[in-house]
Amino acid sequence: MTPSTRADAAKRLPAPILQVKDLQTQFLTHDGIVKAVDGVTFDLYPGESLGIVGESGSGKSMTALSLLRLVPDPGKIVGGKVLFRDQDLMQISDEEIRDIRGRDIAMIFQDPQSSLNPVLQTGFQIAEAMLAHKKATKQQARQRTVELLKRVRIPAAESRVKDYPHQLSGGMRQRAMIAMGLANAPSILIADEPTTALDVTVQAQILELLADLNQELGTAIMMITHNMGVVAGLCTRVLVMYAGQIVEQGPVDQIFENPQHPYTWSLLKSIPRVDALRHERLRSIEGLAPDLLRPPKGCRFHPRCPFRVEKCLTDLPPLTEVKPDQLAACWVTMDRAKKEMGADQLLDIRPGAASGLEPGKIIP
Amino acid sequence: MAATAAAVVTRPIAPEQASLWSDAWRRLRRNRLALAGVIYLTLVVIVALVSAVWTPYSTFQVGVGIPYAAPNAHHLLGVDGLGRDTLSRLMAGAQISLIVGIGTQILVLAVGVPIGLAAGYFRGAFDQVVTFLINLFYGIPDLLVALILVFLLGPSLTNIIIAIAVTRWMDMARLVRGQTLSLREREFIEAARAAGAKPAKILFGHILPNALGPIIVQATFGVPAAILFEAFLSFLGLGVPPPTPTWGGMAAEGIVTIRISPAMVIAPSIALSLTLMAFNFLGDGLRDALDPRGRR
Repeated sequence: MTPSTRADAAKRLPAPILQVKDLQTQFLTHDGIVKAVDGVTFDLYPGESLGIVGESGSGKSMTALSLLRLVPDPGKIVGGKVLFRDQDLMQISDEEIRDIRGRDIAMIFQDPQSSLNPVLQTGFQIAEAMLAHKKATKQQARQRTVELLKRVRIPAAESRVKDYPHQLSGGMRQRAMIAMGLANAPSILIADEPTTALDVTVQAQILELLADLNQELGTAIMMITHNMGVVAGLCTRVLVMYAGQIVEQGPVDQIFENPQHPYTWSLLKSIPRVDALRHERLRSIEGLAPDLLRPPKGCRFHPRCPFRVEKCLTDLPPLTEVKPDQLAACWVTMDRAKKEMGADQLLDIRPGAASGLEPGKIIP
Repeated sequence: MAATAAAVVTRPIAPEQASLWSDAWRRLRRNRLALAGVIYLTLVVIVALVSAVWTPYSTFQVGVGIPYAAPNAHHLLGVDGLGRDTLSRLMAGAQISLIVGIGTQILVLAVGVPIGLAAGYFRGAFDQVVTFLINLFYGIPDLLVALILVFLLGPSLTNIIIAIAVTRWMDMARLVRGQTLSLREREFIEAARAAGAKPAKILFGHILPNALGPIIVQATFGVPAAILFEAFLSFLGLGVPPPTPTWGGMAAEGIVTIRISPAMVIAPSIALSLTLMAFNFLGDGLRDALDPRGRR
């Protein structure tokens, strides 16, 4: 996909197929409440591919699981709406959400090794996905299974149908999972780190496959990943999550070119570059991801942010439009940080280094 | 070099082509004791089947030989106190033992598996009730429960099977519950849920097939336990009522006159012991064969 078509795709936005409004998912633990997803709001448009990035524990997987009401115990969705085809997925009955899972919104998981039932034939599991929603007769399901396996480019699909998962390679297993996800021609495919467990060459093949399917079938893809490269390769829009909240969202090109939230900026800065000087140190983000049991006051990124100002310590910045189509939750934004704090020449990235609000000067 | 590389590559793949079950069967056959158990049990089954249509003498008719006669050419295992042929009764006894053993396990499976699956998967209040019941039944002596039930229901083959199953269901329920508790956290269950599978489908289509190995082993060990329990009840005079021949009942009838005709006790006892042993060997063999971590 060339940058221009991608930008076009981002601009032509029809009515959203999925609207998430102020989603809140919490875990009640012995030590207190963990707000894993804290007021997440976004739209997903038909046929687009949306990336959700963030580090481990940022709530990206929980956001995805919440959409289908699959949050594991002791997690609970405590608030928010997920509008899909004029119904709120959080309000409908268990039977109704079950019908939507796999039929309208399918999901594929990180590790294909453990996501396939080891004692059932792969083809049987794919056919079952169709039979569960009474989309086909047994005969049709069997035929379509072979077609699907061909579609995800599994060689010798006819003979692979009867294979058990352990007889397939890692890449083939993930292809089979994708085939299962596509079995009912869903309008949305949620892919939760689908390439993490695979080696690099296979990763590239799977991403290419997903991109092709997105184009050919018009299935909207929600790609959950911690890998910026995956987002750059596949997605048109991206959401950046930090500590259970969206901190920045917008078209991929625009955000890669000109991130406005210091967290996104730091993430992009910390990608290793082949053209870096030999002895240049790999940049990382100082500090640790926040403890969600006791999230920091104000902006959740402020304890790690080189550009923080006093307001950041007390007030949570709302997600506001900073450029056309681009939203960021930051009091400073990178435009100001570059202009006033010399962010482009910055070498010291310790918290508060650029703004002068260093740890010693923090008002409690 | 290329040839050896190909050999190295193809060898580990070849056994993998076999399905789970043929692989287990292959491993079972390598276990000599288990194989001996299978052969002996096949023999018992054949004898039990044959006894339904033919025995050397009638099973019930008294006076076919001289009472208390020792084994001889006409009566290979001797004659009992009422003049009935011991071999004929031993053959018919095999039938009762197998029916009791297998019948009990069918009931135990029918009750224990669904209860265990539901308790392990849904947890919550239902699980607490089930766990309480399991502990309660473990707390009461088997014999007491069985005796009370036989008294209440009356001694008949069916009632004996029910009574034994009541004292055994919790072994299976506890095993299946434990298996389910661990399997429900596996990612493929989450994937099945995300694909819109109904709870019944997840329980019986995804969890049960993965728990089948331990269930089969448990059921195999349950058969001899039930046979022994029935023999014990019969020995106490509370088993399948006479004149139906059972191994336990035959031993009980012979025990009084063991000095005159030891064969009356020894024959059913040996038949019983060998059968129990064969089932236990088979169970052990199955446990090793169905364990995915087992060596080849």
